[in-house]
Amino acid sequence: MIFLARRLAFYFAAFFLAITFNFLIPRLMPGDPSDRIIASFQGRLNESQVAAIRQSYGLEGSLWEQYLTYVGSVFRLDFGISTVQFPEPTASLLFYGATWTLVLVGLAIALAFTIGSIMGIHAAWNRGGFFDSFFTPINVMMNAFTPAIVALVLFYAFSLQLRWFPLGRAHDPSLMAAFDFQFIGSVLYHATLPVLSIFLVSFGGWHLGMRNVMINLLNDDFVILARAKGLSDNRVKYRYVARNAILPQITSLALSIGYMLGGALVTEQVFNYPGLGKFTFTAIGSRDYSFIQGQLLLLTTAVLIANLLSDIANVILDPRLRKG
Amino acid sequence: MKSIRAIALLGVGVTALAATAPAMAQDQVILRLLPYHTDAMVENYNPNNPTGPQQRMRDFAYEPLWIDNIWHPGENEEALAVAWEIGEDLKSITYSLREGVKWSDGEDFNADDVVFSFEYAKAHPDYPMGLDVYNGETGNIVSAEKIDDLTVKFNLNEPDALARYGINGLYPLPEHVWSGVDDPKNYANLDVVATGPWTVPANFSRNGHDLCRNELSRYNDENAIDCLRFPQMNGNEQTVAALSAGDLDWLGDGLTDPDVTFLPQSEFNNYWLPAGSDVNLQLNTTKAPFDSLEFRKAMTVAIDRQTLLEISTFGLTTETKYPIGTGEMYNTWYDEAALEPYKALMEYNPDEAIAILDAAGFVDADGDGWRDNPDGTPIAFGISMPSGWTDWVNTGQTVAENLQDIGVNASLKTVDQGAWFDAVPRGDFDVYVMWTNGGPTPYNQYSPMFNPRLMVEGQIDFQAMHQMQIPEVEAALDNFKGSADEATQKSALTDIHKAVAENLPVISLFANPIWYEYSTRRFSGWVTEEDQKFRPQVHDGTRERVWHALALKPIEGAQF
Repeated sequence: MIFLARRLAFYFAAFFLAITFNFLIPRLMPGDPSDRIIASFQGRLNESQVAAIRQSYGLEGSLWEQYLTYVGSVFRLDFGISTVQFPEPTASLLFYGATWTLVLVGLAIALAFTIGSIMGIHAAWNRGGFFDSFFTPINVMMNAFTPAIVALVLFYAFSLQLRWFPLGRAHDPSLMAAFDFQFIGSVLYHATLPVLSIFLVSFGGWHLGMRNVMINLLNDDFVILARAKGLSDNRVKYRYVARNAILPQITSLALSIGYMLGGALVTEQVFNYPGLGKFTFTAIGSRDYSFIQGQLLLLTTAVLIANLLSDIANVILDPRLRKG
Repeated sequence: MKSIRAIALLGVGVTALAATAPAMAQDQVILRLLPYHTDAMVENYNPNNPTGPQQRMRDFAYEPLWIDNIWHPGENEEALAVAWEIGEDLKSITYSLREGVKWSDGEDFNADDVVFSFEYAKAHPDYPMGLDVYNGETGNIVSAEKIDDLTVKFNLNEPDALARYGINGLYPLPEHVWSGVDDPKNYANLDVVATGPWTVPANFSRNGHDLCRNELSRYNDENAIDCLRFPQMNGNEQTVAALSAGDLDWLGDGLTDPDVTFLPQSEFNNYWLPAGSDVNLQLNTTKAPFDSLEFRKAMTVAIDRQTLLEISTFGLTTETKYPIGTGEMYNTWYDEAALEPYKALMEYNPDEAIAILDAAGFVDADGDGWRDNPDGTPIAFGISMPSGWTDWVNTGQTVAENLQDIGVNASLKTVDQGAWFDAVPRGDFDVYVMWTNGGPTPYNQYSPMFNPRLMVEGQIDFQAMHQMQIPEVEAALDNFKGSADEATQKSALTDIHKAVAENLPVISLFANPIWYEYSTRRFSGWVTEEDQKFRPQVHDGTRERVWHALALKPIEGAQF
């Protein structure tokens, strides 16, 4: 219990520090949100109009006053107004982007984790065999590709040249969101290439992680004992070795899930996929403070929650931690 | 391996499923156009919201008073007004409004709406309606007066023969709707009431929306397009692909090397890039060596503009003839005979540049291989570019190399776009590449460039970055503005041209292209190099774009 209480106190402090940085970092960048708008008028605004526009974007008061307003709004869950899409509430754009990022990155992580781990188990079990010596180096190589290259190659080949897949978007624009076969089909169809482009560069990591841990465990006493007991190969492989080897993988998975809300900028950009990464990129370029803050807040919260969950899982799984 | 096979099967299944989704039946003629890039469409139809809605609503739904026909001044310009008259003392402009215009909800459009729109702009300075309202200190338009139902008079604080160009671009709002709106900048305007050819929003989603025919529009006899469709898109690879695949008809994106990246993608793809506003080097003339006219002269002849045109900017820009900070966009205003003597300043002549620098004492005093100021202090400066603006970065690189060839230690300095914008007002720079402001007359370009109020440190304007005050230019600008007579304006402008060429506050480079790409898959009637009817851009700020849309006719058998 003391362990958990200490962790909670730590999380609260980390959260507070994080929201302070979330506030400061966008403001440390040169320029401010009204610059772009004012520049777009090419000198057709007179001084009083410029002043009125600056004021309407909430750029008044000292930095400290703005900070107090901001902290208050964080606890009221008020994300403010976007300046890129003025006067749209930031929350509605964040929610929209987060939904599609969860679909895109969620599917990619689920596939990469499952397939990568299964391949890792096979490779470790038959280490030195054909599967291991063929797929392990290939997966290491895939893992070294950058998402930009893979996304552009897939886009060029399958969307632009062969036209097997759509050019972009999360679903057919003529369909309205609904929980039916047609809409979900369209979402999966549109997600295929973006998901594939993230999957291809990430499943190798899971494969290698799983393989390395497995190989270490294969020589442990409990494995020898299990074999000596005459247990079947599959039982030893999955119930004994893989089950232990998956623990560090789960911790990494929790972190990946936490970072999910960072979005997949390059993939989203290439496939015009309406995810958080793309929105955040535009927001940074045009100094949309409220959106950058909101996105960083989501990300911070998600990472902290994922950490907390993995801490709790550790307490449950590891009796030594419970004594505190 | 079983699981991999299952995933593969799933993928095939999904593909088959999507392929069997029924195609939408469409009898309507739809024009797909992209006036701006965005990550998500926002349900907002406010014609004076500059973050996007304005790009969709102006011209197509809301009409201006007058459409300045920039390429053919004086031809066919009537919009909501059919005539204008400047007062004798240049302190008023009177507009005659079109008779019989109805708002899309059936109410009559009349002078009350125009007067209301002025009062509304005055009451809401944070709502940018584009009027230069006099507020006691700055601005010029004092009031709008209803003379009769179809006549409105705008009164000015100071005589200004050019004020009409600003008022022409007013998009009047219907008084019976907007008088109830207290906070216009936050108003989403979901029930559009306007007078243009397309006023009915439809099928809104984050992926785009349509804007369909106004049944009460006076254009309905000639208008062949039932709906405009504004899709959500961001990024050039997306827009080029969409135009090539038939998901877009009309586009205005800056493309790198379009002959390679754009034309081969579809037989229907076309582009034309007429000359737009000029691009200049802005030198910080408050610093050495830029405070020396001889140094500036050497710079202008040291630059190889042919390389800038053909290589750095991919052959998409247009040559600028004279060192006057402006170019082909305003070529009808040139006095060629008066400008002829300055032509040599635009020609690549590194030997001449070296001779000028040697004569003026810019020699290598400390023996480090680079020229120094006549007082012996070293010269080293950066040419600032926003990173990612490829053609400009190339331009900066070429100029730096040209200057290095004559012994000047110049280098390219790329910075983040935000930082690039940020350094200007404080005067914290050596050399910038900078666009010029467009507008119906060259006055719009020179006025911010030479207005001493815009050279105050802390609020230096992009156009006034050189910070050189030239009294002859200021006087000539006053003469230009102080006369409605074209001959007087032209002679004032020639005075400005000569003063700029004599003083070289900026170094002229080339004219940026006007970006215009279109597809002949579904429509004919596009503006082409052979048929230069009017400026062809799809973007807000080109009021002619409504004529362009109305000129398009569907090609027989085309799929919409």
